Amino acid sequence: MPGMHDRNTAVIDVLPATADRPRVMYRYAGDRFLLVEYGEMVLDLTMNFRIFGLNDTVKKAELDGLVETVPALRSILIHYDSRRLPTHMLVDTLKKMEETVPPGENLNIPSRRVELPIAFSDRWTRADIERYVKYTRQDAPNIVNGHNIEYIAQYNGLRSVQAVIDYICATEWWNACIGFWPGLPFMFPLDPRYAIVTPKYNPTRPWTPEGAVGIGGPCVAIYPVQSPGGYQLFGRTIPIFDLKQRNPAFKVNPILLKPADRIQWVPVSDAELESIREKVYDGTYRYKIVAYEALNVKSYLGFLDSIKSEIAAFQQRQAEAVKHVAIP
Amino acid sequence: MFEVLEGGIQTTVQDYPGRVGYLDLGTYPAGPMDHFAFRVANLLVGNAQGAAALEVTAGGLKARFQDRRAVAITGADMQPTLNGKPVPLWESVGVGPDDVLELKIVRGAGFRAYVAVSGAFDVPEYMGSRATFTVGGFGGFEGRGLKKGDRVLLNHAGAPDRMIGRRLRASARPQYGSQWEIEAMRGPQADPDYMTAEDMEFFFSHAWKVDRNSNRMGVRLESHKWQWARTSGGVAGGHPSNILDDGYAVWTVNVCGDQPIILVADGPSLGGFICNATLIYASTWKVGQLVPGRDTIRFKEVTIDQATQLAGSIDETIAESSIERG
Repeated sequence: MPGMHDRNTAVIDVLPATADRPRVMYRYAGDRFLLVEYGEMVLDLTMNFRIFGLNDTVKKAELDGLVETVPALRSILIHYDSRRLPTHMLVDTLKKMEETVPPGENLNIPSRRVELPIAFSDRWTRADIERYVKYTRQDAPNIVNGHNIEYIAQYNGLRSVQAVIDYICATEWWNACIGFWPGLPFMFPLDPRYAIVTPKYNPTRPWTPEGAVGIGGPCVAIYPVQSPGGYQLFGRTIPIFDLKQRNPAFKVNPILLKPADRIQWVPVSDAELESIREKVYDGTYRYKIVAYEALNVKSYLGFLDSIKSEIAAFQQRQAEAVKHVAIP
Repeated sequence: MFEVLEGGIQTTVQDYPGRVGYLDLGTYPAGPMDHFAFRVANLLVGNAQGAAALEVTAGGLKARFQDRRAVAITGADMQPTLNGKPVPLWESVGVGPDDVLELKIVRGAGFRAYVAVSGAFDVPEYMGSRATFTVGGFGGFEGRGLKKGDRVLLNHAGAPDRMIGRRLRASARPQYGSQWEIEAMRGPQADPDYMTAEDMEFFFSHAWKVDRNSNRMGVRLESHKWQWARTSGGVAGGHPSNILDDGYAVWTVNVCGDQPIILVADGPSLGGFICNATLIYASTWKVGQLVPGRDTIRFKEVTIDQATQLAGSIDETIAESSIERG
């Protein structure tokens, strides 16, 4: 019983896995936060879908004492007032919710589709990569012809830079969570046939332009502001964070993307990107966001099943390619 | 109007509880590093406890007033003076036009002082809060620390005279030293699955030195060779401190490789390292008073029930019943 000893265990409670859902662990994170965690530590988007199913259920319940929720890859951090909503009551409520969260395949997750223009291998990321070579590391194997995009091709067994571009644009990217820095999305490909991967910079890069898009491991991120970074860069997009809220897209807050958004990349030239960026800031550009869509997990899982052999073929090609590529 | 003559090491406008509700968009709450001293300062001058006031880190602030106000200074003793004459801490005093307030560089115990002015600082709300988020450069006064020449607006003060000469009773005042005991709870990633029981025992018994390189993002402690319960982080990375990214609780102890870092007001909201313990509502204020490069911390493990009790008592202390007339 809590309170009878002078310590708690980190884990408050566990629901063993069933046929319908993964194991659920409830962990203390102080007296104001609680971590709900699904399954084993594997990267599995279906786990992330269930996180959004639970997140939706928790939010709709409007619990007295609930402050906010932070969905991540396989967990939700729950911020609550333990004096209004005692921990054991919160855990009991969350456990009951597991019975009402639809099983993965029946989930319908509200998900916006966001189209973002991107200039691949653009001159802005090139400039910062050049500075990296000059001041940080001259012999970085991840920089070929002044950019990372050729290395991404090599590492994934793709024939050309154009193939990398085609792969990145062939799938929607699922924004599994936002964090670390305000507005920074962690995105994964919804079509695993195009799931490119890369190791990270070593050492990290002191400069990255705002709007740069890069990949680390299987995860694609957009840099909301100019900052250091470790991801292999492949292009630059339009602002996803604007402190001055100069465009209607930033009217409510300076952050464009939300968890569970799907991002579709649309290639443009450097000149086109520059012109769109100007229109973002003068307020005339309209971000292409479709708000009413949802991700139906059942049809998604059916789709995954139908492309199984193609996924395996690409993974094999990647595994073979990695053998011949130096790691930064 | 509050005219800044010297900004000091880092002086920011904060409010309490800060920018709450944006963790899922990647934004930590900002707000005061020591919510106890911050809220008391406001209470003393008759403001709402969460009203916008100044956090003075390490000292060096000098500023001039333009009108009649009640002012209270709490927190670390920076030997505050008004027109060169000493001003008591934890007590509201009256100021008038052209009065100059000065806080010296902190020498003794504690690291942050708070300055509340009746009526409160009038800076625009940004995402629902007036707190300065130093990392993102937003909120507060132009998203940054105050500097020489800044003129910060103040709200209309009502009748300041009624709020002068109020002080926090001695028994309610916190004691600052250089060796701190800070209450924390085990988890979310502790023993037995991420660290060993011995690791956690060490964590809760060692006197941790506060690293010089500590700020409003993180308070760094010294590195330690942990035993770890796992040999690697698996899919999340080679080091056993690596996990697939989770949301980070505010005031949690994040173990990055070998180094524990307390994630504080302006920290990162999410990341891929374990957090082996988390501070409690009633103990976080102490972190704001740690002197980097000098102080040490021992973490005292508490249960959720103890944490809840302590939370109740700290809020009871920050109340009108703790105020007496000078």
